[in-house]
Amino acid sequence: MKYVTWIFVVTMASLFWISGSAEGHHGYAAFDTRAALTFVGTVSEFHWTNPHCVVDFDVKDAQGQVRTWHGELSSPVHLVPRGWTATTLESGDKITVTGYPGKSNVPSIWVTKILLPDGKELKAEAEK
Amino acid sequence: MIIAPNRLAASLVFFTLSCWAVAGQATPVGQEGIPVTDPLVIAKCGDCHARDERGNMERLSWGRTTPEGWQDALKRMILGYNVPVTPVEARLIVKYLSTNHGLAPEEAKAVLYDAERRIHEETNLPRGGLGNTCTRCHAFARALSWRRSAEDWKQFAELHAARYQVPSEETATFLAKAAPLHTPEWAAWSARKSTLNLAGRWFVTASIRGHGKYYGEMQVDPAGDDEFNSRVTLTSVQDGSTLVRTGRSVVYGGYAWRGRSKGTVPSSSGAPEDLASEAREVLWIAPDQATAEGRSFWGQYQEFGFDVKLQRPSANPTPIAIDKASLRTDSQANRVRLIGYNFSAEVAPAELNFGTGVRARRIVSHTPTELIAEVDVAAEAPLGRRDLTFRSSVLPAALAIYDRVDYIKVKPESALATFGDAKHLRGYQQFEAIGYQRGADGKPHTADDLELGPVDVTWSLEVFYAANGASTDLVGEMSVTGLLTPATTSPGNNFDVWAVATAKDEKDQNGKPLMGKGYVVVTIPAYTFNGHQYVRDLDRWVDDGPVSRTQ
Repeated sequence: MKYVTWIFVVTMASLFWISGSAEGHHGYAAFDTRAALTFVGTVSEFHWTNPHCVVDFDVKDAQGQVRTWHGELSSPVHLVPRGWTATTLESGDKITVTGYPGKSNVPSIWVTKILLPDGKELKAEAEK
Repeated sequence: MIIAPNRLAASLVFFTLSCWAVAGQATPVGQEGIPVTDPLVIAKCGDCHARDERGNMERLSWGRTTPEGWQDALKRMILGYNVPVTPVEARLIVKYLSTNHGLAPEEAKAVLYDAERRIHEETNLPRGGLGNTCTRCHAFARALSWRRSAEDWKQFAELHAARYQVPSEETATFLAKAAPLHTPEWAAWSARKSTLNLAGRWFVTASIRGHGKYYGEMQVDPAGDDEFNSRVTLTSVQDGSTLVRTGRSVVYGGYAWRGRSKGTVPSSSGAPEDLASEAREVLWIAPDQATAEGRSFWGQYQEFGFDVKLQRPSANPTPIAIDKASLRTDSQANRVRLIGYNFSAEVAPAELNFGTGVRARRIVSHTPTELIAEVDVAAEAPLGRRDLTFRSSVLPAALAIYDRVDYIKVKPESALATFGDAKHLRGYQQFEAIGYQRGADGKPHTADDLELGPVDVTWSLEVFYAANGASTDLVGEMSVTGLLTPATTSPGNNFDVWAVATAKDEKDQNGKPLMGKGYVVVTIPAYTFNGHQYVRDLDRWVDDGPVSRTQ
């Protein structure tokens, strides 16, 4: 049983989270955790927000076509101890992203670690 | 109270067990308790919570909390143990305990966001697994709304562990240190508490997402023992429209205002965000009783609300609000409207002091309550937030001086909205777009960034993973004012959605319109009210109706 851990008070602050709906939000279930993928791309957007931080990044394929990937990370409260801040990524940064791809056909990934332009690696999640 | 049925059943079992546990407990040793002297509390609680020769009652004498905390505790006693109390008795019990076993104002202020039902990111969580122990089910503030003896925290943690499989020893150790029963704040407040003197006139400023700033006055009249009737008249800074609300409140412990109010003219639109809606009021009154602040809120999930500040009138000229949030450098003749009280018949431009590089060039007009001036901002004016000094009065952080809007932040940055169904009303979400300047460090999204006020934007929704241009009707719709209304029919799934604000005028360095995004999860209405009408009525006990013993 996995709970979504939003560490902020929502308007329905008095309620108890229900595991079923928390899973429905998505958790890991939407991602294929059997094998991690790695991409090199350029950050287009970075959102430091709950319930997940989000990094959108552009990846050029072998044919030169650019595709925007939607990367989801854990929440700020879990990323801060791993060295992340709201300004870790900026639009235009060249990064190497590792994570688990979404099960659907859209280009999405659950990010487990990122290699920054300065060569520093930041983990975002324990790898399965 | 909203609770999952399976958890409700577990709760009842738990509290039955805990009742036995309580009945067998010896009085905690090592710390002085807080004696219970109220005959009603002794009569209603004494069957289970034995009272010793010093007046200490088991559990009750070794805990302190907010009115909401005591109300929740009383609800559990009624649900779990069928404690027979009438609504009037329940209000009296909550009032006694909140006053005599409450929190000091400073202690309460730290967790006020919980009572105010605000969206609030908690950054004070302990490191490690303990941070998740509490917050996987509820706000950390719920735990920190209590103060207990070490022994009582231990007992609490053990019972909680049995119910939720959370670590008890580590939790008890942390909470006993972070939230002890006896604190310097409580000792000082217990000695300092004075007679409530809230009656009379108050100046009010308020703001509400999507509607902007309001200002006005509130008249407070005594209506019983620490109870008050109120009448507030608010005027919109944005469009001059007025709103009159009347209400009734109880003040617990000398500072915790809890009440209800509603517009004197009922809503004709029936819109959920209508400003005449009945609202719950939570105010924190400063110990000197000269100022107060809080939130009045309503909605199925308390998603709508006024942020309110009150201050006692002064005989001096008193600016209380300004219509502009920010002014750009190298701009001339900015028309600024200052709202306040006791403005004198003669006002010279030089009397308005905004600091270096900002000069009032002309007073356009003025009345005793409004002053319109033309203000110039020099090209080299230092960037940052400015106080306005007007004669002997100061309006703190009145204006921000900026050179450009660097980015837009959508507020709330993280939010929930909820589909409705046959049994549940929808939960809405009102967003607003706020402009920011990058601050002294030159980096956006850092602590020194300068908030510039609302930005004129167009609103849209983006559903995660949906194709560009795909309809968002399944999820809901965004109004031109940034109000997200979830779809009428629940699709039976949750959606991660961006609330997108695109600036009409402000552009980035590449000439593209600035854009901000707020993350909103639109959820199914899975959170079931427990359906116990009696309990739902209890939600209103704290703040509805008189509490005096004559009732």
